[in-house]
Amino acid sequence: MTMRRRTFTIGATSVGLGALLARPRLALAALSHEQMVELLKVVDDRQRNNGDWRANAYLEQKEKDKVDVVYETEYFRRSADQKFMILFLKPKASAGQGYLRIDKNLWFYDPSVGKWERRTERERIGGTNSRRSDFDESRLAEEYEPSDEGDDKLGVYTAYKLLLKGKPGLDLAFPEIRIWIDKETKNVLKRQEYALSGRLLRTSYYPKWKKVFSESKKADVWYPEEIRFYDEVEKANSTLIQIRAVDLRPLEANLFTKAWLESKSR
Amino acid sequence: MSGRLETIGVVAQIAFRNLFASRLKTFIVGGIIFFGALIVVVGNSLLDSVDASMSRSVIGSVAGHIQVYNSNSKDPLEVMGSMSMGDPDISQLDDFAKVRDSLLKVPNVKSVVPMGISGALVTSGNTIDLALEKLRGLVKKQLAATNDADRAKAASLVAAEKGHVRQIISLLQGDLKNAHVLLDEKAIDPEDIAAINRASSDAFWAAFDQKPLDALEFLENRIASLAADSDLIFLRYVGTDVQTFEKSFDRMKIIDGQMIPPGKRGFLFSKYVYEDQLKLKSARRLDLIKEGRELRGETIAKDLDLQRMVRENVAQVREVQLQLDAPQTATFRQKLQTFLGATDQDVSVLLAKFFATDDANFAARYDFFYKELAPALELYRVRIGDVLTIKAFTRSGYVQSVNVPVYGTFQFQGLEKSTLAGGLNIMDLVSFRDLYGFLTGERMAEINAMRAASGAKEIPREKAEAELFGTRQTDDTTASGKGGTEKTAPRHITATATPGILPPSNEPGGILAEKLRRDEVRGRVFNPDEVKRGVVLNAAVILKDPKKIPQTIEAIEAQGKADGLPLKAISWQKASGIVGQFIIMARIVLYVAILIIFTIALVIINNALVMATLERVKEIGTLRAIGAQRRFILGMLVIEALVVGLIFGGAGAVVGAGVVKIIGKIGIPATSDIWFFFFSGPRLHPFLGITNIIGAFVIVLLVSAVSSFYPAWLAMRVTPRQAMAEDE
Repeated sequence: MTMRRRTFTIGATSVGLGALLARPRLALAALSHEQMVELLKVVDDRQRNNGDWRANAYLEQKEKDKVDVVYETEYFRRSADQKFMILFLKPKASAGQGYLRIDKNLWFYDPSVGKWERRTERERIGGTNSRRSDFDESRLAEEYEPSDEGDDKLGVYTAYKLLLKGKPGLDLAFPEIRIWIDKETKNVLKRQEYALSGRLLRTSYYPKWKKVFSESKKADVWYPEEIRFYDEVEKANSTLIQIRAVDLRPLEANLFTKAWLESKSR
Repeated sequence: MSGRLETIGVVAQIAFRNLFASRLKTFIVGGIIFFGALIVVVGNSLLDSVDASMSRSVIGSVAGHIQVYNSNSKDPLEVMGSMSMGDPDISQLDDFAKVRDSLLKVPNVKSVVPMGISGALVTSGNTIDLALEKLRGLVKKQLAATNDADRAKAASLVAAEKGHVRQIISLLQGDLKNAHVLLDEKAIDPEDIAAINRASSDAFWAAFDQKPLDALEFLENRIASLAADSDLIFLRYVGTDVQTFEKSFDRMKIIDGQMIPPGKRGFLFSKYVYEDQLKLKSARRLDLIKEGRELRGETIAKDLDLQRMVRENVAQVREVQLQLDAPQTATFRQKLQTFLGATDQDVSVLLAKFFATDDANFAARYDFFYKELAPALELYRVRIGDVLTIKAFTRSGYVQSVNVPVYGTFQFQGLEKSTLAGGLNIMDLVSFRDLYGFLTGERMAEINAMRAASGAKEIPREKAEAELFGTRQTDDTTASGKGGTEKTAPRHITATATPGILPPSNEPGGILAEKLRRDEVRGRVFNPDEVKRGVVLNAAVILKDPKKIPQTIEAIEAQGKADGLPLKAISWQKASGIVGQFIIMARIVLYVAILIIFTIALVIINNALVMATLERVKEIGTLRAIGAQRRFILGMLVIEALVVGLIFGGAGAVVGAGVVKIIGKIGIPATSDIWFFFFSGPRLHPFLGITNIIGAFVIVLLVSAVSSFYPAWLAMRVTPRQAMAEDE
């Protein structure tokens, strides 16, 4: 299924934003459905590159009474066909393992056995509490239906609080999300993710945002430099993602293929 | 002295006369005692026999007489698994060689077997995934072939597998068309229809060989994801030094294939798991129906379980069909048409008709299936000689996979049908250690270095919001504004794009070249020392004298202390967890039942005797009047009860012994898997323990004596005057 992608120009985005911000809102004035969808589109668009993306990420998983699990990873994505890949570089024992997402498939590859395994969207990446969607492009407007829950204070920030319900027929890691979007910058500050049963699974924080100029987009791309997940089922567990170096130059055409990932470990 | 004997003689005489006089009462009381004794003897003999056969099985299969593990472990060790899916949290023993040396110092220890028990989910993708994986492997071989002969051989294999894949796709296309009819139009993505139409077109397959890898990517990502079936098997395995294991455990027997050779990686399936989990479901169900009919005398007409299996076989013919390519499908059609005398063209219809078995045609169809159809099918998902990939989350939380060749299947005699003990497979210790992911110092150092380099700060959950959002970020990274202070308008730091970090993919010696070549790893022979040294989770200890388990446990723990090792030793009953406890539970149940029976007996006997005593007031009074002492009366009544107890209890014990003897000759058939497990085989042949007969006797006499005390006490208080008064 290819999504009909609406490429926003900065102009259109600003108009949308302008409309959003022109009317002075009372603290609890409800957003209209269109405004909410527009807001999600802005959030998505700020993080979208409209080209290739590659970044280095550090993952750390803390669990009760266990040694921390840490990974150095490279991850790649291509806006054009929503392909995505994570490659583990360190520790040595995990080097060369990787996830590859093509269409509706999420594959896991382990070079020590040379096998591909089909995984689901609920797969915990490398056993941490992160999912594929945490690294991938933001597609909130495409995947969820928003409803307004007013404004909320987070420390010194004021945020829009929205409840998002997954649209039917999509395989999503979290069918329901509560999201806090900074009013001023439109950066996501906090998310709470729920299971279909309504059980809270995870609370996530996005305290640091960075931007980098993208040639392909002809505009800035924003990304969270740090993401912190607190497990709400196993209360003692938490996961940290640090996104370190970003590279927006075009990637090899055949990068998102099984053959490429296999070739890395020959 | 002689006077006393005489007295007893007189008392006994009177007692016998009385018992005979009130025959009905005697038989009621005696009957109860008879059955009580019978139950005690038979029940206890059965339990003793089950106990003995189960302990033989458990000790001789995996537990040994004693299990030793790290005393710092959080959970107790359970070698047979428990009701929960997870395995207990056991701390590792770092150097098995030291543990072994320490244990062998204990005089009663004969041998020590290193072990570790764990489990992993083994996934196999859906049927199309598996077929495509096979095709991909063949295509790679074809591309890598260096001479014409190899290339031609590979090409023919590729062509055959391509035919198989095409056949599967045509089945899937039919499914989608049906779904189209059944479901709402919108439920099916038109793109899926387009993709499957492309995949079944001649043009696609004609072009396949030009760019086979691209064509495979298309099939794997667009087509295989449309099939919904896939399998997850949870395998429990014991990692061990297989040669020592085989020598130490006499119940282990190789059934198919061979033992894992010394110093090789390898896997042995438990026969039960292999049949139950890995066999083609239709074939497995046929086997189970056959077993039910032949071993347990069930019929399809009457047994609900067999009917269910027949129904499932009729409904689930797809698994068989997916294995066939076009020519095989044609062969199956022709064979089934001839056999059934049917004219249907659709093989799925023919198969469904074929599997609709009843008691009259079952045997013939079973034979036909195995003779005519099975040779063309893969009966097992993993064949002996295949390489099995096992992926597990290690103790340290990382994903590790190993490839282990499957050398064969085995079973523990007597536990072959037990889901608990029969569910345990065997793996070489080196692969086990890889999967278990013991944290070595080197790994720990690597993790610490990575963590230090990240500079990540730990923020506890309850402080997260205050710490993360208390102050605005500015480019002044040292800003330590107090929580809640507003700074100037936020300015965000701009990250700079960095040049490529990955080594170019064609450069040898990149980060991933450290990976050992898979085949080297798999085929490498390790030296026996490698197995003997290094980490284990527990060890089974076989004793020279099994009667001395408690003393040896003490000796082992003392020896461990002397050698500075944290050893905890437990008996096989404890180590086998739920299995060992079953017999204790069963005993408790039996004793409670016996207690209830005898409490009721006590009340009934007591009542009967009270009634009898009241009837005999006159007689007792007369005896008192002519000079009988109270003691004489008491003795008379207690002896009456004891005589009844002795005669009927004795008879009950003798009949019980006879029953046990007869059952011992014939054997009790195990009617289901669970009984097979308790009996440690297809039949239980109970034996008679002399202690059971003595025990029955003691209980019976005790009950008779106790139940006669109250009526005897009543009788004692009868005075001659009362007896006379009765008459008036």
